[in-house]
Amino acid sequence: MTATIRPSFRQKLSAALAETWLRLLNISRYPGQLALEIIIPIVFAAMPMLLGRATAGANAAANFQANTGTSNYVAFLLIGSNTFTIVSSAFWHIAYWLRFEQETGTLESIYLTPTTSMTLAGGVALYSVVRGLTSALLAYILGCLIFRVDPFAGDVLLALLFILIGLIPLYGVAFLFGALVLKVKESNALVGLMQWVVSFLMGIFYPVAVLPPLVRLLALLFPPTWMVNGVRSALLGMGFFFGKWYLDIAVLMAFALSVPLLSFWAFNRVEQGVKRNEGMGEF
Amino acid sequence: MQGQVRIDNLSKTYHTRQRKGLFKSEEKRVEALKGVSLEIKPGEVFGLLGPNGAGKTTLIKCLTTLLLPTGGEAWVNGYHLTREANQIRASVGCMLMGERGLYWKLTGSENLIFFGALYHLSPSARRRRAAEIVERLNLGDIADRSVETYSSGQKMKLAFAKALINDAPLLILDEPTNTLDLPSARELRAVVRELNASGKTVIYTTHIMAEAETMCDRVAIVDRGEVLALGTAAELKASLGREEVIHIEGVISAQAGEAVQRLAGVSRAVRAAVDGHTQLTVVAQDQRALLPRLIETLTAHDAVLQKIVPEEVTLEDVFIARTGRTLADDTWVK
Ligand SMILES: Nc1ncnc2c1ncn2[C@@H]1O[C@H](COP(=O)(O)OP(=O)(O)O)[C@@H](O)[C@H]1O
Ligand SMILES: [Mg+2]
Repeated sequence: MTATIRPSFRQKLSAALAETWLRLLNISRYPGQLALEIIIPIVFAAMPMLLGRATAGANAAANFQANTGTSNYVAFLLIGSNTFTIVSSAFWHIAYWLRFEQETGTLESIYLTPTTSMTLAGGVALYSVVRGLTSALLAYILGCLIFRVDPFAGDVLLALLFILIGLIPLYGVAFLFGALVLKVKESNALVGLMQWVVSFLMGIFYPVAVLPPLVRLLALLFPPTWMVNGVRSALLGMGFFFGKWYLDIAVLMAFALSVPLLSFWAFNRVEQGVKRNEGMGEF
Repeated sequence: MQGQVRIDNLSKTYHTRQRKGLFKSEEKRVEALKGVSLEIKPGEVFGLLGPNGAGKTTLIKCLTTLLLPTGGEAWVNGYHLTREANQIRASVGCMLMGERGLYWKLTGSENLIFFGALYHLSPSARRRRAAEIVERLNLGDIADRSVETYSSGQKMKLAFAKALINDAPLLILDEPTNTLDLPSARELRAVVRELNASGKTVIYTTHIMAEAETMCDRVAIVDRGEVLALGTAAELKASLGREEVIHIEGVISAQAGEAVQRLAGVSRAVRAAVDGHTQLTVVAQDQRALLPRLIETLTAHDAVLQKIVPEEVTLEDVFIARTGRTLADDTWVK
């Protein structure tokens, strides 16, 4: 027999990477979608930009400075829309992965193998990060060039740190959401709804400070809010939630440690529940 | 010696919600397995024969840890069903639900290599193993085409190939010839036999009597979640004892069939449609004594008789004798 009964960490990693590779192979067969992914965030950010120019005219930058702490509303909006790309690609890729495989029948095939769903989830997350981050970065730079602002003013490394640490709780939340998708066997409506809630809470087009207190509290319980604010503060110097960058990073770290545990627990519970009843293949 | 697979009083109940209008729904329980116990010996081809809905797939999904049983225990390759689920998955090659279960956007080889990775084969071992299987199953012409361009039979073949990727000592095949044309089915059965000859234990499910009879060393006849009979084909047929079987073909009404059933000495009379005419299978104690009365009764009910064949007992007859139904009838579980 060729299969290993007790796989080493390296073998598990190799299985996860195979999943990443499979996703990349699969998407490479839909090139149009990739091009669209870079254009959409720019258009998405251009809309409020143009609205701003229409309502505030020449004073747009000054008004924006007074309300948010930066006059660079172009970069502000581009960061918002591109962080949203990262966030929404996490939700879409995880939810769609599970749902699509369930519908096509491949989910049962992979549950026949000794590779655990968590290992595969890691592989899918890596794919999703690569895809989300690449298109967000490309769209951000391209957007800045189009609207003639400097994409890399400010502390670029700190911004990256916020993104990298923020990714961990983000994917934690996405898997929590994936568990929900497996449970209710529905993805499109759920992701659609989730996107609106998330885009409202994390402040794509505005700082969360303008939200009413209760809604703002809700927004602050959501890790991507800290991610987008961290990036904006690092690049545009508009102020961290707790004043100092490392305090905000600490909050993200706390999310990074707790949220994945919660989603691991929830995912396992749903998985056992589904196996106890009708099985992964039913949809 | 402990068997390759030991199943001890395994049961599985599905709970489903049946919609009754917009907001109302009603819970429905389906007892798909009702306390199945079996032992499968190393090196044998073990058949699960039963009509659609008998519970064959459910049993296989339990054995491959896709489903948690409601009750009972099992050991597969010496590993405990729930405590050592990962070990079981690593040591079983399974073909389930045929062509679904493959990535249609990928090529055949890419599919095999991917699943090789999920069985923790090293990158070079994956490619080597995939190439070996492609060669062995004559998939060379299509291996580098995306699966969506395959015919249904080619997809089934690839699904079978996928079950071989981890070179497991136990192969579990759920109706592997289901949508195959006759030559492909014959080819697949030949490969299964070769694999068995090279030492692999095989669990083979089918609802086709002839397939179970030719493929399997031992057969369990399954119906409505229960094992009705178990043994070699010869033993099962012998279990009918002094009972004999007569197959009658022609135009035979339901009333005619019922009248035959009421004759003394007839234990079963089951009608089924076969190639546009009716076939009546009569299980009886003493066909010589029965034959004149049988013909009389049928003609009295306006039956047109084309062929009357006192026959060798088949496994299908065993099923009919036990259940009063043919294997072609779908089972329904309340
Ligand atoms: N997911 C499910 N939910 C509810 N009932 C099911 C489910 N899967 C199978 N069944 C029922 O369980 C019984 C056994 O089905 P199955 O194991 O597929 O039989 P077979 O493979 O022998 O055709 C059938 O009555 C079937 O309708
Ligand atoms: Mg079946």
